[in-house]
Amino acid sequence: MIATLIAVSIVIFLFVRLLPGNIIDIMFGGDATATPEAKAAAAHQLGLDGSYLSQYWRWVSGIFEGDMGHSLLNSRPISEMLATALPITMELIVLGLLIATLIGIPLGVISAVRRNSASDYASRVGGLIGISIPNFWLATLLLLFFSRVFGWVPPLSYVSFFDDPVKNLEEFFMPAIAISVFTLAIVMRMVRATMLEVLNLDYVRTARAKGVPRRHVLRKHALRNALIPVVTVVGFEVGVLIGGAAVVEIIFGLPGVGYTLLNAIFNRDYPVIQTATLLIATVFVVVNMVVDLIYGVLDPRISVT
Amino acid sequence: MSSAAATRTWEAVPRKRLIGARWRNPIGLVGAGIVGLCVLTALFGPFLWTLDPNAPDYDRLQGPSWAHPMGTDDLGRDTLARVIHGAQVSLQVGAVAISIALFAGTLIGLLAGFRGGTVDLLLMRLVDVMFAFPGLVLAIVIAGLLGANRRNAMIAIGIIIVPAFARVVRAAVLEVMGFPFIESARALGAGSIRIMLRHLLPNIVAPLIVLTTVYFSTAILSEATLSFLGLGTQPPEAAWGNMLSTARSYIDQSVWMSIFPGAAIMLVVLGFNFLGDGLRDVLDPRVGDVAVKK
Repeated sequence: MIATLIAVSIVIFLFVRLLPGNIIDIMFGGDATATPEAKAAAAHQLGLDGSYLSQYWRWVSGIFEGDMGHSLLNSRPISEMLATALPITMELIVLGLLIATLIGIPLGVISAVRRNSASDYASRVGGLIGISIPNFWLATLLLLFFSRVFGWVPPLSYVSFFDDPVKNLEEFFMPAIAISVFTLAIVMRMVRATMLEVLNLDYVRTARAKGVPRRHVLRKHALRNALIPVVTVVGFEVGVLIGGAAVVEIIFGLPGVGYTLLNAIFNRDYPVIQTATLLIATVFVVVNMVVDLIYGVLDPRISVT
Repeated sequence: MSSAAATRTWEAVPRKRLIGARWRNPIGLVGAGIVGLCVLTALFGPFLWTLDPNAPDYDRLQGPSWAHPMGTDDLGRDTLARVIHGAQVSLQVGAVAISIALFAGTLIGLLAGFRGGTVDLLLMRLVDVMFAFPGLVLAIVIAGLLGANRRNAMIAIGIIIVPAFARVVRAAVLEVMGFPFIESARALGAGSIRIMLRHLLPNIVAPLIVLTTVYFSTAILSEATLSFLGLGTQPPEAAWGNMLSTARSYIDQSVWMSIFPGAAIMLVVLGFNFLGDGLRDVLDPRVGDVAVKK
């Protein structure tokens, strides 16, 4: 994991630097009055002076010392910006995951148990619609629906969950639904497929033959094993949710990491882009490592190296 | 993302299967129909519906009517003409992005699987690093840093799809490498290039077809998202994503501006997903189940 993260940081670092065009020139935007001194000062402030090796070292060692540099736009410390943004994105992702699993798993089970019934067909088609609907469109439709039908719009300024849980959830439920639908559909399809596989296995038949009640077989014998592969999907889906969060944060005006990153991109705020991207990749890599560990615990046949 | 047909095995002659296929899954046919309709719309739509997608000739923010079946937008442009143009944009971006992924991903997967050893290790590490970024975030950063326009969006989307292709191709190649015909080809003196192109490639066509279909939907969805965020196709040119982005500001005056482009995205993505599901049923790409077990 450490190796992956180091490689990731090098890729980000090089990508920002190997872009066509000199960042400093782009920043000054062909301003002919810019003196070489001003450019050199800007380069220094950006950490763009010296060899690549020393620049890279300054960036990475800075992160470990809690100094991530400053935004070019308003000179705010990047560490502070990300510290306020991260909880918002995290909350969105956690809510999204909760919605997706709490609804997706039961739907998948029902679909598998009543294979080829109307409800199976409905949830399969529903699942395909779920992976096809653009989350930003869904968010728009949700906003429209709630404002037209209930005359209700979510509060537009961010409130922390710990200050006012009710207001916070009022604000978060729509974006959370919007990003969770894709994952919900994936979880449902996955549970359905693995359930179907597991239900055909010998041990399930044995349990039924021994007279274990159907409900009990489903819950204790089949579902337990069917859920194992789902855990791996969740790791990947966190990436999808992070991407979705970036988009709905814009729509709902939630100042999360994605919002910060996009603003930085539009303002060519390179230090923020660089560090926010690294943060997102780190979260994603760590989540996937945790998922691998959980997978190893759930299924002892898999050894985690 | 595998759903139905867990029991089907894959055969090395996909072409026969594809045409005389027993499409027991009507979903696949529906998907083919939707995709076909979208392609026809993109190709012939402008000839059938001749209004100019960029001419602000009409009353603003109209609802659907006979003259404007999808209404008009904030500048008084015909929405149907813009949706048709958007279909061309989406398919073009999808096709170019998928071609990038198909070429680069197949190359990486073939080399890694065929060469093995250090080459495999290095290439797969590269793929791991690419997988360390959430796809859409990577696309946003690449498109944003290269500069917001359609060409860069196509490159960005192509790049984020490469690792998925590379991994699947490598797995498929490793599977095929176990068959005796590879060994006999080598014994007959076939070179590496010949083995890769004549013996490996034709045998991994089935999973590639399914991947291409499924990731076409990802590409179209990503293009719409990038355009929505202002990182893809730039206004005034019509793309479904940027139309939705503009529509958001006028949602109180006209909901229709938000409805039609979004529905278009969903329909086309749905079509590719349906088609992918159907194709998967016909030629289950899980090469892991190949005849070996039979």
